[in-house]
Amino acid sequence: MKKLKSMAVAFNSLGKNKLRSFLMMIGIIIGITAITIIISMALGSKAQIMERVERFGTDALNVFGMAMRAPGSGPRGRPTSSLKLGDAQAIEMNVDNISVVAPMSMRWGADVRFEDKYLRSMLSAVTEDFIHMWDWNMEYGDFITRLDDERLARTVVIGPTVKDEFFPEENPVGRTIKIENVPFEIKGVLAGTGQSAGGRDMGNTVIIPLNTYLRRVANTETIDGIRIKVKNSRHLDKTAEDIKEVIRESHGIMDGQEDDFSLITPTEVREFSEHISGTFNVLLIIVAGISLIAGGVVVANIMLISVSERKFEIGLRKSVGARKSDILMQFLFETIAVTVTGGAIGVLLGILGAFLFMQFGETPVAISWEGIAIGLGFSIIVGILSGIQPALKASKMAPIEALRS
Amino acid sequence: MGNEMIKASNLTKIYNKGMTTEVYAVNDISLTINKGEFISIMGASGSGKSTLMNILGCLDKPDSGTFLLEGEDVMKLDDDQLAGIRNRKIGFVFQNFNLLPRTTSLENVELPLLYSDVHNIKGRAMEALKEVGLLDRAHHHPNQLSGGQQQRVAIARALVNDPDIIFADEPTGNLDTQSSYEIMNILQKLNKKGRTIVIVTHEPSIAEQTNRILEFSDGRIIRDSINNDIKDSGAELERIKKGGKPDEKA
Repeated sequence: MKKLKSMAVAFNSLGKNKLRSFLMMIGIIIGITAITIIISMALGSKAQIMERVERFGTDALNVFGMAMRAPGSGPRGRPTSSLKLGDAQAIEMNVDNISVVAPMSMRWGADVRFEDKYLRSMLSAVTEDFIHMWDWNMEYGDFITRLDDERLARTVVIGPTVKDEFFPEENPVGRTIKIENVPFEIKGVLAGTGQSAGGRDMGNTVIIPLNTYLRRVANTETIDGIRIKVKNSRHLDKTAEDIKEVIRESHGIMDGQEDDFSLITPTEVREFSEHISGTFNVLLIIVAGISLIAGGVVVANIMLISVSERKFEIGLRKSVGARKSDILMQFLFETIAVTVTGGAIGVLLGILGAFLFMQFGETPVAISWEGIAIGLGFSIIVGILSGIQPALKASKMAPIEALRS
Repeated sequence: MGNEMIKASNLTKIYNKGMTTEVYAVNDISLTINKGEFISIMGASGSGKSTLMNILGCLDKPDSGTFLLEGEDVMKLDDDQLAGIRNRKIGFVFQNFNLLPRTTSLENVELPLLYSDVHNIKGRAMEALKEVGLLDRAHHHPNQLSGGQQQRVAIARALVNDPDIIFADEPTGNLDTQSSYEIMNILQKLNKKGRTIVIVTHEPSIAEQTNRILEFSDGRIIRDSINNDIKDSGAELERIKKGGKPDEKA
């Protein structure tokens, strides 16, 4: 009952000093808004990472024909690869726990034409096994076969985006399109493929036999990568080690020399993505934390001034029977009420901000109860920390000293 | 002892102790106040009368002496226990009213009840406002009230806890003549209903309306007299309202 009365007194007093209350809130509002947005973005990117790992496949390994290098350092386009088709065969023959080995080459922005229409698509050069990796279905026709590959057939499977662009109304199987000026006959059309982990339109793709690509288009011996699906993902790490050994042997790499290829596991994909978004989040949380501390200092200062200004009120309350604890609770509740109100406004603004980021930015966000709870929790903590000193000062005033002012 | 409201012996309060500016604000005062008395403490400003009243009202502690309030040794109580005593047994009226600004009369009167166990807060506050004739001003803020009305709100606040004794420090000090008599009229009526009242004043015309006058100088009581010829503030008030001049008041 007494506590409720103190709370009522506190809210009453705040309402009578709207400007002061608002000034106290600003810092808290900014801090909590920032924290809410950060939490929404952190959760959003966490969801994105999980999705990326899932798309990558939790039971798949990728080998690339280059040593791992920092993103964006080498030239874009066609860095030379160290992998050859023989590596894929060596893996298939020498490593246990493997269900599918799919060697491939990729080229982004390949020139694809039909009559006067033009597209820049992703060119994938793959083998028959590739379709088993991705659980894709055919809309029309068939996927590339081993025979196509052996015969260096100029056949192509196109994605739905390419089909819609070139042949919106018809079944295009049997028609001929040009890829990098080489004519290819359409053998099949993929059903919906969705987006890649990076948000790229997977439907905008043309898929040709790997050997056809190597001999007729790129004129090269090397392939870009090998995607390997394991039978039992529990032994993924062991299998990855085995694969590394096989490739090192086939490339003649001595002990102590570095790999001339890189092997990427689902764990690494997750760790790398988390590392990037983690660094970003730590920085933002530091900034938000600093603004909250600054906000708390402002609140503490204004409350201290307010205690001096309201000496008379404190003296009066004490003269009519308020005990130390009544005054302490009143001022503490006042501070907490300010910071929690500020925190609630901050949470609302933060959610609004997160929505805006989602609408207009590339950043994925997720709005969650955790975010709201953390925001409000922080504002209560800031309220207690910044309110305790002024409240103690107020409660210790002697009634007669306070009344004399 | 049954009739003693306050029994104080050898009270002393010293300011700036040990310094050259040392002042005996209250100097070895012994005093008994009986229930139902209406006492005025008179003296020049700085004579220590307010200090004495603050001590008697449990707002301040003496440096030495003994002080019993209704037989209870107040000197032994801690700050929170004193707050409880002030809340239950004592009502204060101040010279400058001491109402909370931007707060209605009703809320101002409710203030002591917020720190008590009373549940019917609003009802009790309205009752007190009715007693000082300000029921129609319950929702006005202090700045919408005259000085006399503000002091009546303050009296209602002092009354609301049904205290045994009311202390009023220069209650008419900031008021015009008519308002002063209105305030004194209310206090006289409260006294007639049996409430013990102590006021501090430096105006003889105010002191004449009480039944015991203590004259104060340099921290000592120099005269303690019973006033057998109490001026009736009600009659005085009627005279002023009709345009007549009050007795003696300059």
